[in-house]
This record gives sequence, C-alpha cells and structure tokens, in this order.
Amino acid sequence: MLELRDVRHEYDGRVVLHLERFAVPPGAAIAVVGPNGSGKSTLLRLLALLERPTQGRVLLDEAVVTSRGAARRRVTLVEQRPILFRATVRENLEFGLQVRGIRRTEVNRRIQDVAARFGITPLLGRRRHELSDGEVQRVAVARALAVEPDVLLLDEPASSADRAAALTLYRALSEERVRRPMAVCLASHQLEDAYRWADDVRALADGRLSPVTPENLFRVELMPAESGDLKHACVGTVEIAAMTDRTGPAILAVPPTDIFVSREPLASSARNTFQGRVTGLARRGPGAVHVTADVGVELIAVVTEEAVRDLALAPGSPVVFSFKASAVRVF
Amino acid sequence: MDFLAEGFRRALALLFSGDAEVYGIALLTLKIGVISTVLACGLGIPLGFVLATRGFWGRRAALTVVNTALAFPTVVLGLLLYGLLSRRGPLGAVGWLYTWQAIALGDVLLALPIAAALAAAAVQGVDPRIRRTAETLGAGRWRTAWSVAREARFALAAVITTAFGHVVAEIGSAMTVGGNIRGQTRTLTTAVALYTSQGDFGLALALGLILLLLALLVNVALQALQGRGHA
Repeated sequence: MLELRDVRHEYDGRVVLHLERFAVPPGAAIAVVGPNGSGKSTLLRLLALLERPTQGRVLLDEAVVTSRGAARRRVTLVEQRPILFRATVRENLEFGLQVRGIRRTEVNRRIQDVAARFGITPLLGRRRHELSDGEVQRVAVARALAVEPDVLLLDEPASSADRAAALTLYRALSEERVRRPMAVCLASHQLEDAYRWADDVRALADGRLSPVTPENLFRVELMPAESGDLKHACVGTVEIAAMTDRTGPAILAVPPTDIFVSREPLASSARNTFQGRVTGLARRGPGAVHVTADVGVELIAVVTEEAVRDLALAPGSPVVFSFKASAVRVF
Repeated sequence: MDFLAEGFRRALALLFSGDAEVYGIALLTLKIGVISTVLACGLGIPLGFVLATRGFWGRRAALTVVNTALAFPTVVLGLLLYGLLSRRGPLGAVGWLYTWQAIALGDVLLALPIAAALAAAAVQGVDPRIRRTAETLGAGRWRTAWSVAREARFALAAVITTAFGHVVAEIGSAMTVGGNIRGQTRTLTTAVALYTSQGDFGLALALGLILLLLALLVNVALQALQGRGHA
C-alpha cells in the first residue's frame, strides 16, 4: 500500500496540497478528480516520489520511504503531457527494463508483449518526432507498464487522445489489472471516465480532499449580482447563481441529487435553469442513474431508472437541468 | 594589397611544402588544445550539471563566480599562473614554467568556466520532464544524468567546440607562462604574434590559416557526430 500521511506541500510558501491521509491500497483503481489547479498533479508527483512533501510522510507497505530510488522501482508515473526520450519507441520501452538489469531476452519478450497490447508494434522503430500526441501518450503508458509496477499513476491519461483512443486506453488498463495485480491511481477532469473506470472516485479542491461528491465541481470567480443578494459565476458558457456571502475566487459544487431533470423548462423557484443535451447515462447503485448533460458546461444529475424511462432520456436527447441557488455549495 | 597576395602565396607554399617548423607548431597547438579541452570539459561539464540540477547552499554564488570567470582576462590569468609557477612561487618546484604543460594548465583554467557555464545552460535547457521520466522509470542518479546529457548532447557538443576554440585561440597566458620558445612552447597564436612583429607576414598568415583549419576540422568532426543523432 502506498500512502501519504499528514502531508502538507508548498510551492514558494503557498500551500498546494494538504492531506491528512491519502492511501492507494493494493489492486485499487482510484480516480482523483477536481478542477485545474486543485493539486492533482502535485499529489501524483508526491505519490511517485518525485518530490518530497514539505511536511509529512510517504509510506510504502506501512514503512516510511527512506530510499526513494528503491521505492521508485515499484511506483511509476505517466505525466499529463508525457515526453519520450530522444530515441526510438523500442529504446524508450527498454529504458526502465535496462535500469533494472533485466536480461535481454526478457526485455525483448516484455516489449513485444506490451507493444502488442497497446497496438504500438508498428511504431517500435519510430522516433518521438514521428509520433502524434496520442501515440506518444500510448507509448508512455506502455513504457510505464513494461516495468510492471505495483502502483501505476496516470495524470490525465486521456488528455491527448480522442474519444476512441481514450476508451482503448482505459480498456487496456482494465485488461492489465486482470492480467496481474496492480494499483492504478489516475487524475482526470473527465468525471464520466472516472466513474466508468474507477472503483473509488475522490475529489480534490484547493489541495484538500473535498467533503462533497466530486461531480459538478468548478473553480470560479464569484461576482455580486447587479440586483439582489445572489452571487454569479461563469462556468463554461453558462452563469450559475449561488446563495452565498462570498465573492472572488471560490470552488462551486452542485450536488447531483439537487438537480431537477426535465424535458421542458419548469416554472419553479430554481434560479438556475439550463437547456442542453444528454451526453451519457451510467447506472450507479440500485435504481440510480447518473445523467451527464452538456448544458454549456458538463453537469451530472442523479435520477431514478423510472425517471429516465418517463422522460425517455437517451444520449443526444434534449434535457433541462434546474437547481436552486441555495443548492450550490461554495468553498 | 600586393603584400597581402604575397602573404597568401607564401602561406599556401608553406602549407603544402610540409615545413617541419610550421607543422611542429601546429601539432603542439593541437596537442595542447586537445589535452586542455578534454580536461576542462571533463571537469567543467559535470560541474555545470551540478550547478544546473542540484540545489545547495551557495549555488547562486557559484554560478556568479563561474559566469564572471568567463570574462577573466587571459593575460591576467597568465600573470597569476606565472607567479604560481615561477621558481619562487608555491608551485615552483613542479618546474612547469616555460613548458607546454604550463600553457595547458592556463588553457584548462581558461576553458573550465566556459565549459561549466555553457554546460549548466545546456542542462537547464533540457525539458524537466526528461529527468522526472528517467527517475519514475527507476533510473538512479547517474543514469538520470546520462539521460539528461543525451537530450542535451547537441548543446554539449557546442560546449566542447567553444572550449576548444577558446583554447587554441588563446595567446595571453600562453605567451606569459610558455615563453614562446622555438620548438618547445611555440604555439600557433604566439608564433603568429612573433612573426607578424618580425615582418614575416607570409609565415604568420600560414600559421593563421592552419589555426582556422584546426577550428574548422573540430567543428566538422563534431557536426558529423551530431548528424548521427536524430531528434
């Protein structure tokens, strides 16, 4: 088990991460979600032992990590915009195996194996400038998996990939976990992917684990309304009204259970009403469905199976999301 | 203009005649240049690495010292070295004054800060993700440094070329601690200065052309090496 305990990390005196405990149990599939700047990448770099926390401890199998070099052989990170060494794809895949002193025949076997699984066999002789961003991402993940780590950390693994490539990547990761025991912790801003893939979704906001569910979490600038007490914040192309005393930078959370879903705008007290289209439906728990819609920004609402049937909700169908200004949580 | 043309004619004649003195001077210059470049880069490039990648107390001051040393006047360097190597100096017992070793020592001291400062800049120019990637794939300190050096190899080749260029073109220190002794410590630059002052323009020009040729050859060799590496 990889674990951060009582960790506080600062850059130039500014606290960017403050966690009492963050554990990655063996074999876990964890997704960390949160807005840009919430501390996801810093968290992964600390877990990857690439940086020492300003305060606190990193534990591996219940023991405080003293030799980062040895621990790094068991934990591997693929960064958000990974970089390949100035060499061929094959040489990149060989790198981690060579530093472990693995024999040539075993190196070749692992490279053939991982290249086949990620569909990069035709790329083995190419150099980094001959690859697309998506191919670089796949090679970087394959390179990390070639060393067969106990913990694989992925920072926005689908950021350079199109939808189909992202799904292929997630499928390959799932297959990899079936093939051998490995914990995976990924940071993503794609909630849909996080929920589809991970067993455990955790939200990070302003460097802290958020007490609310990670859906509909936004970093915003709250502005007073021209009239009335409500504050407004621009999120994507929509403006969300919130009942709060605060102004300026803040994190907004809209609990998915507080969103009314309808086919037509409702005459109601809800100050936030947005029209859009359903982009995804995911079954969660008994009778609960997560409805993802693009209403100018991606929002998720939780409804019942019955409501989905009654409203005939399906990907692409028109939908209206409504919620009260008082339902918006401000942090 | 006539004397210039005559100078060139004389230079070419000397170059192709296989004049023993001319080639002796050229070979000594090459020997000193290669030895001092190897030593200066062998010490300076790792020093540049440390300055660029390690956080330690006094790092900023060390970088300032190295950058200031880039502009150290070679005549002053020669003068200080002369004081150290002269019979009454602290290193007088070594007996290096007016030997090629003294010139090489001066050249090493001249090229060392150049190699360190340029190597530090070259390493700082490498994408920081390279170091992190090597580390996260399990590489130790040396293997990580090697990965970073591979990324910076074109810039590091330029460091070597620059150091060599400075070393073979240096005259102040070579004249002071070498003494410009015929057949022993006469290098291309000191010889060019001497023959020009004696009015033997053709010979000076021939030696100048050889100096240019040496610099050209080293550049071509390094470019050929760089050409083997791809992006």
